[in-house]
Amino acid sequence: MTTAISSPEAAPATPVPPGVTRRKRTFKRPSLAMTVGVLWLASLTFCAVFASQLPFIRSYDTKLKINGKAGRYNLGPGWRAWMGTDSSSHDVFARCIYGAKVTLTVGVLATLIGLILGGLLGIMAGYFLGWIDRIGAIVTDSLLALPALLLALLLVYRMDDLKNVYTWLGWLDRKWEITLTLGILAIAPFARIARAQTVGLREREFVLAARSLGAKNGRIIVREILPNLIPAMLTVAVTGLGILIAAEGALAFLGLGVQRPLTWGKMISDGQRDLGRAWWATMFPCLFLFLTVISFNLIGDRLARRFDIREAAI
Amino acid sequence: MRYFLQRLLQFVIVFFLVTFGVLVFMRIGLNKPGDPARTMLGGQATDEQIANVTRRFHLDSNYLVQYWYWLKGMVWDLDFGYSQPNNLNVTTYLKPRVLTTVFLGVYSIFFALCIAVPMAVYQAYKRDRIYDKVASFGSFFFVSVPALVLAPLLKYVFIDHEPFAPVLHLLFGDKFAFPRIANKVYPWDSLSDHIKNFFVPTLTLTLPLAAVFVRLLRADMVQTLQADFITMASAKGVPPRRVLWGHALRNSLFSVLTSVGVQVGGLVGGALVVEQYFNLKGMGSLLVAAILSSDLFTVQSVSAILVACVVIVNLTVDLGYAVIDPRVRHARALS
Repeated sequence: MTTAISSPEAAPATPVPPGVTRRKRTFKRPSLAMTVGVLWLASLTFCAVFASQLPFIRSYDTKLKINGKAGRYNLGPGWRAWMGTDSSSHDVFARCIYGAKVTLTVGVLATLIGLILGGLLGIMAGYFLGWIDRIGAIVTDSLLALPALLLALLLVYRMDDLKNVYTWLGWLDRKWEITLTLGILAIAPFARIARAQTVGLREREFVLAARSLGAKNGRIIVREILPNLIPAMLTVAVTGLGILIAAEGALAFLGLGVQRPLTWGKMISDGQRDLGRAWWATMFPCLFLFLTVISFNLIGDRLARRFDIREAAI
Repeated sequence: MRYFLQRLLQFVIVFFLVTFGVLVFMRIGLNKPGDPARTMLGGQATDEQIANVTRRFHLDSNYLVQYWYWLKGMVWDLDFGYSQPNNLNVTTYLKPRVLTTVFLGVYSIFFALCIAVPMAVYQAYKRDRIYDKVASFGSFFFVSVPALVLAPLLKYVFIDHEPFAPVLHLLFGDKFAFPRIANKVYPWDSLSDHIKNFFVPTLTLTLPLAAVFVRLLRADMVQTLQADFITMASAKGVPPRRVLWGHALRNSLFSVLTSVGVQVGGLVGGALVVEQYFNLKGMGSLLVAAILSSDLFTVQSVSAILVACVVIVNLTVDLGYAVIDPRVRHARALS
């Protein structure tokens, strides 16, 4: 994902005032921060996808033994294990990578769910206004009234129970539960942005033009409004991904995460007691979580500036 | 005023909808008669006990009736229900814990504003200078740090501080070491212990919150400072300090105020993690335990309190708009 855009005026023939060129150049060239973000996410995704093929990543269950014995935190960060070993002498680096796979899939799928449902709700509310808007506002307010993490805890835990009662929910494993939950959390913010943007767009000339040509509501929404929503929704989705990944970490930390492979939140919670003794077991998962979240934020911030969307600014 | 009443109505609807939703959601799937009571009582409950509990809380009637009795008990008798697993009234069980979370929340919002407002105002004033750039970088950094990352980091620096001990001793002296946090201490019991106990958890919540406020306020301030009335005020000879703090700040507070309302929900989530990490016995840890043990009434009551907090803060924010901006107050006269 790059923001490099090419336009006819890329190389002006006539000299322009220095202020103007500088302004243009900052928009053309992806910034250093954003490049770092994209690089980090790309390499993390690459490692996570090909974790079992890559030679430098140990398998999930490999125990590192010293003189044939496995011990608690037996290796600090070093050449043998880049990020040390955890309480059952597994390689922290390998576990972080396997955790990344779950976290990233969950985050992306949840964002898609939120994007589709929230976008639909927001467009409907913003386009039709009136009582649909009223209902939309109540739905989003209700979703926002319950603190997000509390809602997530409730949903995940109850889904666990419901699975035992209703057999048709059997496909719902932890990963799907968390994806669905985070998707539901993402509905309200997406709906708000989509509504705000739609309200602005529906008064524009091109919508009026389409309407006066006899276009039906459905066509106007799909052909006129939807394409204009894409920049805003994309920006919010990228920033939201970071937030959802942090939320996934918090859920895992509170013990409602995926059990296998462990995700970063659970690793942080596991290393909590021995923080003074083995800082690496906590700090490296923290680092992964932090770098991932900040990468998404950097990209989102860049996109927000590029498309000039204030709502997405964090 | 009409606007405010409209918001009030909507928030009241939201409150009832959400609390009722939680009640229903906690009971879906408990279809067989006696199931809710069995869940509350845990594994080995006799039929007699189940019948008792069912009768006492009207667990066999429909959801609306149950909701009515629970709400009535909560509002009239301040009876939040009964926590069966702990064999305690939820009220007695909750009381000492509410304060911990309230302290955490109030402190962090208060200190976040204390840090954010001067920083952002000065940043907007010195726009694009080196101070602005450094502060922008810092605020972006802290916006992106999840509570889950900041908590271990600060705990490592301040509490398990072996590598940092010399520095901390130099800064704070020998006596000011932060203890391992165990139980809360009220400020009226021992102020210094209270501060020691709450300093690190509050800091964990304050820094990201302050960063959010700084970013919002700086963006708004920069825009306000370009407005005509600011130029006018400066031209009249109003000292810069008054222009900044009187004229500009007041007109830039909207987003921050809105954000306070939005952040309260997020703050509760952060508090959940922080309480768990620092072993503070607050509402968050209580709630996690309650959800994990299917403690119907505790979950309902705690979420009702939290929803009420969020709703009240948002209403206050709406009132706050009117306080800052006369245009909001007289909106009706204009329209």
